[in-house]
Amino acid sequence: MSENLHQRARQLIAQSLVEGLGRDDQSWLDAHLRECSDCSRETVRSQELVRSFRSLPVTVPRDLATRTQLRVRLRAEETAQPSPGSTFLWVITAASWALGILSAPFVWRIFAWVGAELSVPKLVLEVGFVLWWTVPALIAVAVVLYQRATSPARTW
Amino acid sequence: MTDDQQTLAAGLRRRDPNLLDHLIEQHQQRLYRYLLFLTGDPALAEDLFQETWIRVLERGHQYNAKSKFESWLFAIARHLVIDVSRRKKMSSLDELNDPQSEQHYEPPDDRAISALQLLVTRESEQAVQLSLLKIPAYYREVLLLRFHEELGLEEIATVLATPLSTVKSRLYRGLEALKSALPEGAA
Repeated sequence: MSENLHQRARQLIAQSLVEGLGRDDQSWLDAHLRECSDCSRETVRSQELVRSFRSLPVTVPRDLATRTQLRVRLRAEETAQPSPGSTFLWVITAASWALGILSAPFVWRIFAWVGAELSVPKLVLEVGFVLWWTVPALIAVAVVLYQRATSPARTW
Repeated sequence: MTDDQQTLAAGLRRRDPNLLDHLIEQHQQRLYRYLLFLTGDPALAEDLFQETWIRVLERGHQYNAKSKFESWLFAIARHLVIDVSRRKKMSSLDELNDPQSEQHYEPPDDRAISALQLLVTRESEQAVQLSLLKIPAYYREVLLLRFHEELGLEEIATVLATPLSTVKSRLYRGLEALKSALPEGAA
């Protein structure tokens, strides 16, 4: 029997394991294997190898899944999304900033009018104007920090 | 895209804790086995197993449900193995991401083999298990995904981000390499 025939048979044996064979190739291989004991042995050897592969036993360490679940939950807590309450606070803060910037010229006019009526020095007016904008923001920061310090740990 | 995959993707986007618990339970065998055979190091495989699930949590929103969850999971695990191998200068595993290096394989040291041997529970499969660690990582990986995890060729190509033709050629060469690495009379 020609060496090329054996070569083709070996290729088909491997192909049958990796991606399967078409009907014609399978028929050819079956016929060849009936006549060739070497290639038959090769088929058995290859199939046995794949069978051994499929039944490779591995023992997963005890508690690995449980430990992983715990670790994943801890990470989830660390990186938890902002709560709806804090989202609302951010929206309010952004709106407050926008309104503040837009209304600043008018507020300054009121400050200037009050200053003129009461003869308040300009420096005092300017300091007052700055405090007018910063004090509410400082109070908001204090509230957020207080909430964080006193709220219980977030759970899923 | 199946309904199950879409439900899964939605759950991952929500970071649903019960879903993640379930997935960890469901895939622990396959993922651990994959990592163990890829690294040959039980302790490293455990670390990477946990890291993989942390990534699933953090990047769950990236799962688009177009491929099977298993393929996505294995791809994450694979990237972690490559990252670790680069940090630890594990040349045999670094080849996973470098097809040009297929000619420069160094077999793993005996420590890795004996560490894996500790986990073998049936002697009849020891020859195949140990021979696996003697062949290049890029062959070991495709053989494992095809014959152990029983992924389809297209799925393997997805995991490896490699053309289908490369997957096939690695499988054929890997089978040959494994046969050559087996002791006489085994399998």
